[in-house]
Amino acid sequence: MNYLLLTPAFLLILLVFVLPLIRYSWMSMHSISVITGLDYIPNNGSNWIRLLNDDRFWRDTIQTIRFAAFSVSIEIVLAIIIALLLSQRIKGKGILRTISLLPWALPTTIMALGWRWIFNTPYGPIDQISSLIGFGTLDILSNPDLAWIATVIGDVWKTTPFVALIILAGLQTIPSDLYEAFKMEGGSPLQSFIKITLPLLKPYILLSLVFRLAQAFGVFDLIQVMTGGGPASSTESIAIYAYLNAMRFLDFGYSATIMIASFILLITICLFTWIFYNKLKSKLSI
Amino acid sequence: MLLIWSLSPLIWQLYTSLSTPEALTRPLEINEFRWTFDNYKQIFQANPPFVRYLLNSLIVGLSSTILTLAIALPASYSLAKANNKVSKISKIILLASALFPYFLLFLALLEFAREMNFGNNLLALCIPYSALCMPLAVLLLTAAFKDLPNDLEEAARLEGLGLINRLRWILFPLIKPAIASTSILVFLFTWNEYPIALTWISKSELITLPVAIARIAGSSVYSVPYGAYAAATVVGALPLLLIVFIFQKRIVSGLTQGAIKG
Amino acid sequence: MKSRITKLLISSFTTLLLPMQSIKADDISSKTINILMPAPFADSTSYLINEYNTKHKNHKKIKVTRGPLETEAMSDLAISSLLLGNSPYDIVLIDVTWLPKYAKAQWISDLSLWFTKEEAKALASGAKLGNYFEGKLYRWPLVADMGLLYWRKDLMDKPPKTPRELIKISKNLQEKGKVKYGYVWQGRQYEGLSCVFLEVINGFGGNWIDHKGEPNLNTKNSYKAVSWLKELITEGISPKSVTNFSEPEALQIFESGEAAFMRNWPYAWAELNKDKSKVKGKVGVTVMVAENNNLATATLGSWGFSILSSSKNKLESSTVIKYLTSSSSQNYLFKKYGYTPTNTDVLKDKVLTIKYPILSSLEKGLSVAKPRPQSPLYAQMSDILQRSLSSILTNKSSIDEEMNRANKSTKDIILSAGK
Repeated sequence: MNYLLLTPAFLLILLVFVLPLIRYSWMSMHSISVITGLDYIPNNGSNWIRLLNDDRFWRDTIQTIRFAAFSVSIEIVLAIIIALLLSQRIKGKGILRTISLLPWALPTTIMALGWRWIFNTPYGPIDQISSLIGFGTLDILSNPDLAWIATVIGDVWKTTPFVALIILAGLQTIPSDLYEAFKMEGGSPLQSFIKITLPLLKPYILLSLVFRLAQAFGVFDLIQVMTGGGPASSTESIAIYAYLNAMRFLDFGYSATIMIASFILLITICLFTWIFYNKLKSKLSI
Repeated sequence: MLLIWSLSPLIWQLYTSLSTPEALTRPLEINEFRWTFDNYKQIFQANPPFVRYLLNSLIVGLSSTILTLAIALPASYSLAKANNKVSKISKIILLASALFPYFLLFLALLEFAREMNFGNNLLALCIPYSALCMPLAVLLLTAAFKDLPNDLEEAARLEGLGLINRLRWILFPLIKPAIASTSILVFLFTWNEYPIALTWISKSELITLPVAIARIAGSSVYSVPYGAYAAATVVGALPLLLIVFIFQKRIVSGLTQGAIKG
Repeated sequence: MKSRITKLLISSFTTLLLPMQSIKADDISSKTINILMPAPFADSTSYLINEYNTKHKNHKKIKVTRGPLETEAMSDLAISSLLLGNSPYDIVLIDVTWLPKYAKAQWISDLSLWFTKEEAKALASGAKLGNYFEGKLYRWPLVADMGLLYWRKDLMDKPPKTPRELIKISKNLQEKGKVKYGYVWQGRQYEGLSCVFLEVINGFGGNWIDHKGEPNLNTKNSYKAVSWLKELITEGISPKSVTNFSEPEALQIFESGEAAFMRNWPYAWAELNKDKSKVKGKVGVTVMVAENNNLATATLGSWGFSILSSSKNKLESSTVIKYLTSSSSQNYLFKKYGYTPTNTDVLKDKVLTIKYPILSSLEKGLSVAKPRPQSPLYAQMSDILQRSLSSILTNKSSIDEEMNRANKSTKDIILSAGK
């Protein structure tokens, strides 16, 4: 009887998470494109051969990893600082918390457009200020070497509050007598941060690390609206490439192949992060 | 610092939305022709009016929230009562799906929509949305059910109350805070979701807020009509500001509960 | 807390029930003819559409949806509505490069039922291209567009005909200090680069895709074409920054009198003859240089109307298309917006040509216009080409290596898409 109550929830998860993956695996072994009139024709893995030889896919993979690595690491460092600040007893903490939550609660598309305007050449504030100082226009969004930095800023701005909250939750589980005891022994605040706070925060940092890595790896809305993947594909992520293959090139077989491949890559990356992180932490704390 | 970091982009939007097109080309100058409400008039008089998108998003948000709760509540209850093995496996499945970058699902979901003829139907959108929110909702609510003392329910059972009555009269009222935070998180998710709304809805009267805003950006002849879309973002953000201000505590506790117990 | 949640639930149910009828869009599709157009076309045709709607009281009204400005975003919108099924549009204005894709996916219908062979004959020779796929007519052109070579009448007597001549004249003028640069074109990694390349590779006697549908990017002629483009940069005929130029940047330099030649579309003519232009009245228009006269081509870029297969108003849609592309509409669009006419009678109109001499150059350009490879996979092919060309022009890799790679990738795409 009890397990009956579980079924709808798990059926829904099966329908929306598991079936698509099975379907993609199957699609990736077929040609399903505009050439085939959108029919399914088995093609003996030529999608996969193409993927392995596809410069664009690998370039996008590197760009996606670059985006994820930079934004997630900046977010976590910033979030730890913000969480430490918010855990202090200061006036107006509630309001502060609310305001710092705002960026996270707003739709990504709204703020992606906002950032596009902020980085606009020549009317956005960034370019205005830089010309006032005498640097001239920066033209960040049309420079293939710089545009990705703008996308990282947009992502950091939006998701840092979320990570900060998770870390804050972690901070609140640390009993304050631990710090007291450490202080009695003559430890400095910095030492206590390294010796007590960081090790005890470990599960929370790991949780947000893995969660944010996975989300950043699938980044779509932010880039789609902010740069559309340009200039010259320099901000294109795997998700954008998969979207293009499906919706613009009408090559569904290949699009599905890209999605499965990126899923496999993601799992690999998460595992590596996990192992690397554990090694790093065990060195730090003991 | 924190305040400036979080707020300055928003304030810039507000500032832009109140500026005339001429003022926008010289954003740092102040003069008497600088301020206007025309951008707001423009988006409210557009066809269809901007309020329409807010309404669409509201319909999707509320229906998804209700569906999610309707399925997640019983599931969490039984999960909280389940034995160790079942609950552990379920928890791993739920966590894995919560971490999943859901963008990858859009193609299969698009096919699903076409097969089921769910395209351009706002209520149908709540099916993928509930599914996407399900892992988080179940994890949060299970944690809440587990915190309840068992004797309370036992007592009610001895009184002869059936399962439905026990849930309705004893258990649900007790975990109301958790229900509230879950609903807010689900609502926020659906209000902000972009890729699925983008691919499931093609009629311009039915698109949701994020899609509408992205579309404003691409529709002008010479450049993005930044004044108008800044006004759109302000209008689109206001309901969220309200939600965040009113339910700030619930959101925080929802997220932190999720972090601690998950 | 309790009352808040109950209120929330009650209010949510009422909001759900009240607009039930509005959840499914009002079924306007049968009452109007719905056209999806990119924003600039929606604006330029709005007068014509108003006129139609007021004149034909007993016809179905035309309703235009303004699509995005950017070609790619416009394609996304059209495709997503088609993929989902039950598309809300009857007519979509499509770019010449989309046609094979839409036709192959069976989204657009054969127009030969409504457009006769005689009507097709009345189209200018270049405008006839790019409307057919596998022998069937799928599109009726609204406006023609083709790549042109703009030259400075004040600096030379006649324009160059061959690539060598272009370099020679440019060098000469540059040495004399008459201009800073010889030739400006579109070298950024985007669709414009493919258009430039098509003209050059044809000019050297090569092919991008041959008549069998196979890529010919690693042939001798293709090699010559790429070398020439690269030479323009290394010899200083074109500025180094040309690798980041799209149409506006090229126009800006040419307009300021700093270059002797420019490759651009017809719209540039009006811009160059505005008062603010430094080359007003000093510009001539001709076709692109080629190794011999028969090889000169102009990349065809044009927009035209297609009727969706799902439309329930096909007959009336065809009437609307005929109205919007009629000679009098084209006359209006040419005079007001400079749109290149597609009907021979407007293009060769004597009165119009006297008033607007550019018309004869446009006609000449259109007569050698050639469409880009007509394949449903065009978007991917073009992307591969752009990448390779861009990395050659920016000195990231050698011509041989890149063109071989581009050729192979193009083959891979054709293979995995299931030819």
